[in-house]
Amino acid sequence: MVAIRRRPRSTRLLVVALVSVSLAIITLDYRSGTTGPLASLGRTAKTAIAPMQEAVTSVTRPISNFFIGLANLPSLAEENRRLKEELADARAVAAGGQVEANELEELQDLLGLQDLHPDGIPAVVTANGVSNFDWTVTINRGTNTGVAVDMPVIAGSPDAARLVGRVIDVTANSSEVQLILDRDHAVWAEIDGTPEAGLVVGRGDQDLAMDVEPDAELEGDENIFTQGYEVDGQPGVYPSGLLIGQISRVSPEPNALSLPVEIRPAVDFSTLNVVLVLQATTADDDQEDAAP
Amino acid sequence: MIRRVVAVGVIIVTALLLQSTVFAQLRLLGVRPELLYLVTVVVAFLEGPSEGAVVGFISGFAQDLLLNEPKGILALTLTLLGYTIGMLRQFIVSPSPFLPVILVALGTAGGVLFYVVVSFLLGNYDDSIANAVRVALLAALYNAILTPLLFPLLRRVFEGSRPTRVVRF
Repeated sequence: MVAIRRRPRSTRLLVVALVSVSLAIITLDYRSGTTGPLASLGRTAKTAIAPMQEAVTSVTRPISNFFIGLANLPSLAEENRRLKEELADARAVAAGGQVEANELEELQDLLGLQDLHPDGIPAVVTANGVSNFDWTVTINRGTNTGVAVDMPVIAGSPDAARLVGRVIDVTANSSEVQLILDRDHAVWAEIDGTPEAGLVVGRGDQDLAMDVEPDAELEGDENIFTQGYEVDGQPGVYPSGLLIGQISRVSPEPNALSLPVEIRPAVDFSTLNVVLVLQATTADDDQEDAAP
Repeated sequence: MIRRVVAVGVIIVTALLLQSTVFAQLRLLGVRPELLYLVTVVVAFLEGPSEGAVVGFISGFAQDLLLNEPKGILALTLTLLGYTIGMLRQFIVSPSPFLPVILVALGTAGGVLFYVVVSFLLGNYDDSIANAVRVALLAALYNAILTPLLFPLLRRVFEGSRPTRVVRF
């Protein structure tokens, strides 16, 4: 009888204790920010898990790339409706080889990019964030190779360096990159061929959002590039001239104060593999060009 | 006892690894499963409220360390989730094999929404309510789909490492 009554009470006590500890952790971390003991404990945890993530990714990437390739096939086929069914079948068979060809191309593009930014740090994407509400990736380079917080991260080819995001946290052997998709991410950008500029804000797995002047004349398929700026001699995080994406939708509303524009990112984040971390000084020339 | 602690540690690390690599690639309409919610619910279902709360706290804190939110929110969420499911379990007599699936789905949806509310109260959530509900429901659905695969595995691990009960009078 005693045993039966004692168990629930000790359970309740335990839960109260654990909840109190959680609340204490939240308070402590909330007040101390990125410098507190919990933040450094977090970095230790990230340092420990990064090599494991890298190992898992190196095994699973070819497999998941294959499935992503298969999943993309229907939309490809739709685009090429006139293609005969045989061709679609042939494509399904070739999907595996296509993935490797893409990867080779990606690496060659990165080599070209690195010629343009000689002190850029090449890195491989080893994992994504664990949360459904943050849009981040982990890369396999950290302070050991000179990566620091706020460095811009790009991908793509020399003709079109594409914006991936910026470094928000670094450990010795890995860094966390906030993607431009993240809802906390915003970047100042200009619309190619027009005088329009505005803030491009991430919206998770939806297209990026940007508000421009209501009387802007847009074709609806312009490219969007980052625009460098300087406040009190302090340059923005991103150099100018990085491709963010292409306008996918313009939704004008009568009498609105601004014109909402949706932008499809230039980078395919589901298959993002190799990236280049730019040291902050590489884009000085670009920025002088863009300065008004 | 030590065997059990090691088992829980391995399960948590594996879940975090899978969630950040494989399942981050294989998303369901842009949403990945919340494996630690699943683990917490299953443990609470099998072992009762106190074990559910403890495993919930540990796994929540482990994931918190990898997040950039104020740490501790998920620890709080999963502690309460483990306790709630464990308590609820005592009042359910249904022998249905779908019971774990239903509990995982309900627990995940409720847990994610609770997490969003706490995150919002701390000024850390700047997304729409509609998206929070969408993520909660899709994560619940994804977890529910994974439960039939993972439940037998987790049950085997936990029953295999269960300490021999001493019956006291």
